[in-house]
Amino acid sequence: MRPIVEMKNVTKEFHGVAALRDVSFDLAPGEVHALLGENGAGKSTLTKIMAGVYEVTAGQLVIDGEPQSFKTPAEALQKGIAMVFQETSLVPSLTVAQNLYLGNEKFLNRLRGIYISAQQFLQSLNFGVDPTMFVSQLGAAQKQMVEIARAVHHKAKVIIFDEPTATLTPEEKHHFFALIRRLKKDGVSIIFISHALEEALAISDRITVLRDGQHVITDLAKNFDRDKIINAMVGRALSGELYGKAAQKRIPRPYGQKILSVQNLSMGRMVRNTSFSVYSGQITGIFGLIGSGRTETAKIISGVVKRDFFHGGEVKLEGRSVRYRVPRKAVKDGIVYVTEDRKIEGFFETKSIAENIYLNLLSADLNKNGVIVSYSEMIALAKEWTGKLNVRAINSDARVVELSGGNQQKVVIARALVQKPKLIIFDEPTRGVDVGAIAELHQVINSLADAGLAVVVISSYLPEIMNLADRVLVSRQGRVVEEFAMEEATEEKIMYAAVH
Amino acid sequence: MTIAMGGWLERFLGRGAASVTVPPLDGALKPNSLLEEAQPGFTVAAPDNLALLGGAPVWSSGAQLLKLAGDKPSPFATLQSDVTALACSDAGLIAVACEKHGIAVLDHDGKPAITALRDGGKYACATALAFANNDTLLVCIGSTDNPLSAWQRDLLEQHRAGQLLRIDLKSGEVRQLANKLAFPNGVLADKDGSIIVSESWATRLIRLGPDGRMRAQLIEDLPGYPARLARAARGGYWLTVFAPRSPLIEFVLREPKYRRAMMAEVAPENWIAPALQSGLSFHEPMQGGALKQMGILKPWAPTRSYGLVVEVNENFVPVRSLHSRAGGRRHGITSAVESGGRLWLTSKGGDEVVTINL
Repeated sequence: MRPIVEMKNVTKEFHGVAALRDVSFDLAPGEVHALLGENGAGKSTLTKIMAGVYEVTAGQLVIDGEPQSFKTPAEALQKGIAMVFQETSLVPSLTVAQNLYLGNEKFLNRLRGIYISAQQFLQSLNFGVDPTMFVSQLGAAQKQMVEIARAVHHKAKVIIFDEPTATLTPEEKHHFFALIRRLKKDGVSIIFISHALEEALAISDRITVLRDGQHVITDLAKNFDRDKIINAMVGRALSGELYGKAAQKRIPRPYGQKILSVQNLSMGRMVRNTSFSVYSGQITGIFGLIGSGRTETAKIISGVVKRDFFHGGEVKLEGRSVRYRVPRKAVKDGIVYVTEDRKIEGFFETKSIAENIYLNLLSADLNKNGVIVSYSEMIALAKEWTGKLNVRAINSDARVVELSGGNQQKVVIARALVQKPKLIIFDEPTRGVDVGAIAELHQVINSLADAGLAVVVISSYLPEIMNLADRVLVSRQGRVVEEFAMEEATEEKIMYAAVH
Repeated sequence: MTIAMGGWLERFLGRGAASVTVPPLDGALKPNSLLEEAQPGFTVAAPDNLALLGGAPVWSSGAQLLKLAGDKPSPFATLQSDVTALACSDAGLIAVACEKHGIAVLDHDGKPAITALRDGGKYACATALAFANNDTLLVCIGSTDNPLSAWQRDLLEQHRAGQLLRIDLKSGEVRQLANKLAFPNGVLADKDGSIIVSESWATRLIRLGPDGRMRAQLIEDLPGYPARLARAARGGYWLTVFAPRSPLIEFVLREPKYRRAMMAEVAPENWIAPALQSGLSFHEPMQGGALKQMGILKPWAPTRSYGLVVEVNENFVPVRSLHSRAGGRRHGITSAVESGGRLWLTSKGGDEVVTINL
């Protein structure tokens, strides 16, 4: 069968640096093809060439047997190739329905008609998104749903999904996979980029692994297992370091002093009367589906958002009642929050690594010279933390935006750690991070708990919670509804508590 | 003015001291049914004051002192009024505080050894005794305003009239080490000479120096009212918690007018206050609400009484706990001792002495 998309010996260079080197790839009609690799392996570059975002430096792109060179994504879309981007490309000031029909508008549009057909279309995909809402009002998961819906709506022959499930809840993922199966049945070819290897193994027909811009292996999915994929991705076996074997052997850390006591905390409809404690020298895992109030609770504790003005509950830090209006006060008291959305809230992307780290030192008033900024202190600090956390960059002057996801996350963690916290809250610490960096980040988080810090890890990825946490709190509908000691926790029990 | 405004504002906004919150039972205090599911123990009316006499447990029930004779409890001494506190020394002396007749020191057979310490009025609310050494007795007076039987009133009136006394058994000298304590209800002389005291109404444990000066707050903001302490074999301590805190009771404690009216008009057993046992009468304040289904009270229902004993390590960090939850029988745990790999507990509310193999 003739491939619908074929890439022959493609090389792509940016300013003389090769992002892809002599890569060949093909996609059969009605096939789900997973594209895997660490951050910076070249997956996004390869797919962006297909989608018309980039042009090849050398090699050939063949669509339906015809060589093509797309200048814009619109040209690719005309040929039936649509891409769902990792960073959403929706227009925030338009409604969901308007975004769905953007580019396909009729000469005369009736808004009511658009809303009705958008509602029917979204319902057919089992996506619970209100078509009349502005995109700016949507959460990350809902934006992702609209992105997916838009690609399907364009009736593309090839749809490229770049990390489509990163922000989806398990239930939404279930719907998403059902959608992929339906599209496949209709003859649509799908390229699926994901860091969740189990998803790739479950949904795809074939798997291609890239490493450092080069093709490593392409084979039928049934011929792969987790270890084989990881081996191909990073060039070494990592599975034991990550999930599974390491978690089984782990002995939970004992309870330390109670650092934080959250009592009947409330914030609107998002956080409803939640109570829990956090102990030093331990990792407290908080699992919950998106919308369960985990992030909001963490943000209240760290002063990013405010709790209810009346009867908002109590937060006690080492027995002292605290109520922060701004994060700066919380930082001074030793509470640091590492955001789930590092690109928006985690760093200044156009500033260097050194500047980013030093800025947090300044904000905590921990620099040596008070109001005077010291360049040498900044460089020394950057050197210390890039070394400690193994941030891989050309030098500390490199801009954070130029780093891979894992290294960006390490910079965000370094920024938090320079503030000398007693309590550190990681919100989705390994989202959008490749497996090699995940192992390193887990090591960092474990070492913090071993050093006696109180660590909270919020994650919607169960194996991560199982691997890291000494005790697991389950959040549902704005409150902590269940607690499991590590010995009694299973994925089934945790998920049951999160859903029922 | 500022303080007055601050207090008013806190009440208006429901913040600070006016926030009606209770710390959660989580971590090492996570509810379980270990206490409830333990083997049947000895049925004894309102047992209390467990202590070890030569390694064997003794306890009180009303005015009687009991110990095991074979595998059954048997009284070996009877006092003139209800025993409120009990301690045993390494030398085999038994110090007993009675509600109406003060403190007596008995020998190991229950016969009077020293009689010079009897002062009924002064020791009417002696809540705990401990031997610092064979000649020195530490005494917790829960309240100088109320007798022990009126402990709920003492809480609702928010008294802070507790004392810690040191009695020299040779000379009979009584010295006040600390006063204005919030119902001290457990005392233990530590190895370094310091004294550990549990303050029930302040829901905390404190460490005092040998001279009675405050050294440290060991645990604070407990989810219940702490009672007596005992050493654990693993190097830490067993802390009994005789009743739970609840948002309803915390709310009532912040409403003085309501409390006054309640205490004037309602029978004491039906007050909205912690209790050693509950669920016996429909006149009691609502606790189960909709959580009672098919005649069974759900274990997470709000409750006035609870069974809880906590093991804390040498740094006073809770490491494990045993529970009898809402709807259970073994509530009102007032004392505990560990002996021979077994934990002995008195469930004063459940009329049972419970043993648990550790």
